Amino acid sequence: MTQAFLIVVRVLVVALFLYWGYRLWTGTRSWTSRIMGMFFSAVLIWQTTLGTWT
Amino acid sequence: MKRFSTLIWLENRRNWIWSLPLMGSLLFWAWGIKQVTVMSVEERLGIRAGLLVAAATIGAVVLCMMIGRIRSETRKGQYQVLLMSPPSGYTHILSRFTYAAGVAFAFYIAIGFMFWWIFALAGISFDARSLFELILAVPFYGMSVTTLPLLAYTLLLMVFVSAYRLSGPGWVPGVVMLLGTPIAMQWVGEWIVRISYTLPGWRLFSTAPAALVERFGELDPETAMDINTALNQGVPVEPMLVMLVVTAVLLLLAGRIWQEVEA
Repeated sequence: MTQAFLIVVRVLVVALFLYWGYRLWTGTRSWTSRIMGMFFSAVLIWQTTLGTWT
Repeated sequence: MKRFSTLIWLENRRNWIWSLPLMGSLLFWAWGIKQVTVMSVEERLGIRAGLLVAAATIGAVVLCMMIGRIRSETRKGQYQVLLMSPPSGYTHILSRFTYAAGVAFAFYIAIGFMFWWIFALAGISFDARSLFELILAVPFYGMSVTTLPLLAYTLLLMVFVSAYRLSGPGWVPGVVMLLGTPIAMQWVGEWIVRISYTLPGWRLFSTAPAALVERFGELDPETAMDINTALNQGVPVEPMLVMLVVTAVLLLLAGRIWQEVEA
């Protein structure tokens, strides 16, 4: 039950970070800002899915 | 070069209201140090050193607030005339950073002098070499590892958030960067720990034990051995080199974004 709940939470959080990544990609005309936004979004998604947090 | 010096002058015009009180706050800390009148010399020295560490920490926060005002200044249109001027985004960022780094260096050298003062008040007199290390080497090392990357990071954060100010998602860029930074820094920190002491350590305060013995008498053998081992090993230079490179990369990114957005 707890495991299933955590999986659902992670999926929702990853969806939020993906949405933020999309907003950061489309919200500016600066390519460096886009790349930085993608980098930090990817870092957050990586930490949520493959990171050491339990 | 003239453009750069003009921008530095402009930074001074814009920020003296922050930098002057910051330097003046040292008088307050000096007054606070004189108020510590605990009987035990060691305890008194410890409390005074704690006060100076607090002063250094608060100083770093004030410097970050000073350099971080670039976003509100951009929004209020203070840069509108400058934005049509020839200096590149890199020059704008570099001048802003150079001014803050200069103030920080002066501030931390003064803190180094105050450390020397509290040691003198405790009856510990360092020789010229240790004094030089206390007022120049330690501030430079500490700033390279902490304050300079922090200033560059604040600058990049503000410029990054500003890049989304017209049609962007408001608070999202700042939140994403602030949440992602500790994770990225954890990777950098682990890498620094792994490569530390690959190069020979930077030996500081090699003559300090003599001054301590002169003041407090012979140390117990175990403590003396620990101190000697630490002093012989020195401080690792890799964190300083890595964080200086990180600082340069953050400034380059900030300059690039400024160039793309404001130029």
